Amino acid sequence: MLTTPPTLYTRRPSPTTAEFTLTTCPPLTLPLRVALSLLFLGRLVLVLGVVMVCYARWTISPFYNSSSTTSTTASTTTDTDTSDAVLGLLWLLSKAHHTYLGHLSTRIAAAIPLWLLGLLSAGALYAAVFLRVHTTESLLVLRGLGIQTATNNSLLFGFGSTTRFIPTEKIRDVLINEAFRGFEVRYYLVVVVDGESDVVVVFPRLLPRKDIVESVWRGVRGCLYDSQGRVEHYHHHSPRQQQSDNSGRTVYDKG
Amino acid sequence: MAPTYNIAMVSDFFYPQPGGIESHIYQLSTKLMDRGHKVIIITHAYEGRTGVRYLTNGLKVYHVPSLVMYRSATFPTVFSAFPVFRNIVLREQINIVHGHGSLSNLCHEAILHARTMGLRTVFTDHSLFGFADAASILANKLLKFSLSDVDHVICVSHTCKENTVLRASLDPLMVSVIPNAVVAENFRPLSHPEVTSTTSPTSTSPNHPSTHPTSGFGSSVPPARQLGPHDPITIVVISRLFYNKGTDLLTAAIPRILENHPNTRFIIAGSGPKAIDLEQMIEQNVLQDRVEMLGPVRHEEVRDVMVRGHIYLHPSLTEAFGTVIVEAASCGLYVVCTQVGGIPEVLPSHMTVFAKPEEDDLVAATGKAIAALRAGKVRTELFHEQVKSMYSWTNVALRTERVYNGISGAISEGEFYGYDSTTTGNKGSWSATRGRSGVQSFALIDRLKRYYGCGIWAGKLFCLCVIVDYLLFLLLEMVWPREKIDICPEWPRKMVGKEPNNRRDGIR
Repeated sequence: MLTTPPTLYTRRPSPTTAEFTLTTCPPLTLPLRVALSLLFLGRLVLVLGVVMVCYARWTISPFYNSSSTTSTTASTTTDTDTSDAVLGLLWLLSKAHHTYLGHLSTRIAAAIPLWLLGLLSAGALYAAVFLRVHTTESLLVLRGLGIQTATNNSLLFGFGSTTRFIPTEKIRDVLINEAFRGFEVRYYLVVVVDGESDVVVVFPRLLPRKDIVESVWRGVRGCLYDSQGRVEHYHHHSPRQQQSDNSGRTVYDKG
Repeated sequence: MAPTYNIAMVSDFFYPQPGGIESHIYQLSTKLMDRGHKVIIITHAYEGRTGVRYLTNGLKVYHVPSLVMYRSATFPTVFSAFPVFRNIVLREQINIVHGHGSLSNLCHEAILHARTMGLRTVFTDHSLFGFADAASILANKLLKFSLSDVDHVICVSHTCKENTVLRASLDPLMVSVIPNAVVAENFRPLSHPEVTSTTSPTSTSPNHPSTHPTSGFGSSVPPARQLGPHDPITIVVISRLFYNKGTDLLTAAIPRILENHPNTRFIIAGSGPKAIDLEQMIEQNVLQDRVEMLGPVRHEEVRDVMVRGHIYLHPSLTEAFGTVIVEAASCGLYVVCTQVGGIPEVLPSHMTVFAKPEEDDLVAATGKAIAALRAGKVRTELFHEQVKSMYSWTNVALRTERVYNGISGAISEGEFYGYDSTTTGNKGSWSATRGRSGVQSFALIDRLKRYYGCGIWAGKLFCLCVIVDYLLFLLLEMVWPREKIDICPEWPRKMVGKEPNNRRDGIR
């Protein structure tokens, strides 16, 4: 419900520019926005709950009294901002610890053995912080400048993205290849970069199906090379044709 | 319009590894593509050769990577290749799976999976096996398993057919004999005019003082080569130096032949564990100036070695077909060979002298051949054209295509087998021995019946394997549904316009 199969969105503000975005995120309708905010809230609650339970576990541990006294002595000696913040957090937690929720978390913490608690909280924190709902990958083509690939990160709620820019003079070719992956053979789009032994795979996470790969490939070629089949600023040395394709071939033949 | 098929050739043996099966698959595939079929090759990954490759003529080769990893493990890999195999078969829209080589694990596996998926299967056997030793018994059982449910079997010689029929308990009607072929253009004798207009080696060859530069393409009958009573005669042996290739026989025969016949010398090419024996024999008899050992030669160089000689000696103890003696005859050599396996079927009698696989007879036969050459009774210069007319890959492809037509029901049962089961009134009935298309059903219960007859324990074990394979197939259909597999676009197919019999170019 929250995701779709990889969908291609193409933007072509000018004939020499194109952006191909591949995403598993469906169009943002109101119900979807509500669902996503609820998901965010749920993650927040999960993080807070884990912190509460861990604190409760600490209060019932044998180190609680001694460590609290040491921390108070520490606070008297060092008076920096960070210790203030930590102390403020601890104070907030101790306040929350005495509410009903605190009692509940104490009972949970007492019921679960320590190793299991550690595992569970680590898992819950990972799921809440790192797991993404959507994957978005994009390819930006600017004739005369180059190609930029972008993949959104798995870090912290899925914000941020990793980009890679390949200037036009470094692009030797853009082509569709086939390879074994797991138990199947997949089509994928690659950019052959001058001077690199490895090719750059476009859409490496989503690895879309052939129809999408093919339309992106046509779009990239149409955008990157003009109708004469020549690359601006760069003389094309070895046109390679991995994929039997009519329009691609005619572009080559003219050039 | 003849039907065209999408064919997958499956074998563990393919290029870059050199060998007979490898070149057979390549040549057959090339010719089938010329006939308008789509052919792909599935093999395992070689060093530095993984993934999907195209050969220059558009032949697509899948080097399946995971198999090597599994093959080194001890677990019998009956099912491991199924997911990848299914994916390839579906994306290439294969109708016919054609396996090669009875020692190829991948081929047997593919035949089993292909039948589970409801495809037609053909198996080509390239080798002869014994029945006695433990390894052969195991290999034969495996073959029986694999061939219980195959649509048709192709053997390279009649001896090979007999052997395979016995080993796998097959109905002889479902086994065809299609011999290997040679690319005759690559095995021209020295005196023969070049097909392409390069410099002819005839005028500059010191080895053959009697060769005359032929006047051109029009001269169909080259002049006879006359050997005087004192001209040197060179005997060529090209083989891997293994026990089954008869190297021991050769080691024993060479000193005697050289003793009986002055003005003869040997050229031996090839390598193997028995090379040391040959070297010892040369040392002991001080024959260094009369026996030349070349070591391993590449397949392209074989012709250059062959044309240096007059007689080709083939002492093999077992041979399914013996492509090399066809190549030797094509080079214009008189062939002395042992009468084993499929060898007697290969060449007409005027090109060969047969010997029993024993020392005395081999020496005598070689003596006979030398005498015949010296007397000028043998027109070796005619051999090339004769071989060329006998063996061509185009013909092999035509006959293979007929097998494909037969199993897929494009030609009638009566035409294919020369025997029509419909006239006996049991049309559509299942017969345990006849693997007949149209009659041979893909239903699991029918397949199980065929496997069950393989043996008391083996039958049940095979049935179990087939059932597991079927369940695996159902699972794969659920996990990787067919509609999620991309279909490969096709290369434009060649049209079968002109009759390919008179085509001599385009071999490579």
